[in-house]
Amino acid sequence: MDQWTDRLSEYLDNELDAGERRELEAHLTACASCRTTLDELRDVTSRAKAMNDRQPDMDLWPGIEQRIAAAGGSRRYSFSLPQLAAAGIALMVLSGGAVWMLRQQAIQPAAPATQATVVDNPSVVPVNLADASYDEAVADLQRTLEVGRARLDPETIKVLEASLASIDQAIDQSQRALAADPANTYLYGHLAAARQRKLALLRRVSALADIEG
Amino acid sequence: MLQQETLPIGLTALESKRAFDRDEMDVSRAARGDVQAFERLYRAHIPRVHGIVRRMAGGKDVDELAQDIFVRAWQKLGTFRGEAAFTTWLHRLAVNVVLERFRAGGAERSRRVASEAVFETARSTPMRPELSIDFEAALERLPDGAREVFVLHDVEGYKHHEIGSLLGISPGTSKAQLHRARMMLRKHLR
Repeated sequence: MDQWTDRLSEYLDNELDAGERRELEAHLTACASCRTTLDELRDVTSRAKAMNDRQPDMDLWPGIEQRIAAAGGSRRYSFSLPQLAAAGIALMVLSGGAVWMLRQQAIQPAAPATQATVVDNPSVVPVNLADASYDEAVADLQRTLEVGRARLDPETIKVLEASLASIDQAIDQSQRALAADPANTYLYGHLAAARQRKLALLRRVSALADIEG
Repeated sequence: MLQQETLPIGLTALESKRAFDRDEMDVSRAARGDVQAFERLYRAHIPRVHGIVRRMAGGKDVDELAQDIFVRAWQKLGTFRGEAAFTTWLHRLAVNVVLERFRAGGAERSRRVASEAVFETARSTPMRPELSIDFEAALERLPDGAREVFVLHDVEGYKHHEIGSLLGISPGTSKAQLHRARMMLRKHLR
């Protein structure tokens, strides 16, 4: 062992400054022991990178699933009965491909890019799920909700905020994934579905705020 | 010397992209409470996570720690923003959970033999030439500090300043521990 032995790892990892590197390399030309040690250290780092991963000896999933269930399991959000009733109506409308809007919220029909199916009903106004129209619709509903917010009970507001956070996260993740893979039609469907959910939720709660007013 | 970037073992670039896409969908579903999607994430990532735990923890409580990591991942999925790949997020969470357990068991760990003498004693036990201590078994025998730094740096690819933050040591100490680990392990490759 000499003064350079303890610096061999730093040399291997390119962490010596230029002067130290030159000195050590000069030393290596004369020191067989250090050259051997350096080769052995290279073997160790290669072996570390080549370590294989393998399955554990037993399946750990049952224990994980049990602990998740014991802690409350699913992250479903609970709604009150009026909210569940409104959600049921909204889901029926959405599953038919139609977008249902309250007559009081007169949203202008937008440009044709991604229109939902129109139902023959004066209350039904198609909402384009492309960015500008969708953003306008969401902003309008959020303004309406703010006006009527004081009429809603705190638990409803809590559920609303948690639900919106979850949907916004899904929208954000879809948009990020689409940025990396713009031709992915599954992701477009996923994004459209998340936006529809957000619209439906905002309409539902806006309607509740109006009813309770 | 630059460290060469490597793909996950056994995966081609295309397979890696497909795995990445599947992860993103399952993460989104699992974050909304889909347990089946989370199980798919578990099955895809348990070999790597179990490996991280096995190597850092030196073979102790590995299965329990691996379960802790996935339970914590389930709880924290809502905080995953997608700025890094899910794999990166999960591996960092795994390292943090293991280190938390180490800190919690601080007194017990200090009683564990942490001297090189034990390592040297094991090495000097006569063996048949055709047998050798498996590299991973040799890793388990390293003193705790040296093993942690070696796994984080040479196996997981952390830099010394990152290791310093994780372990509460200086980058200089991290470098010294790394060299110590490598010097001890080289004897098992002869």
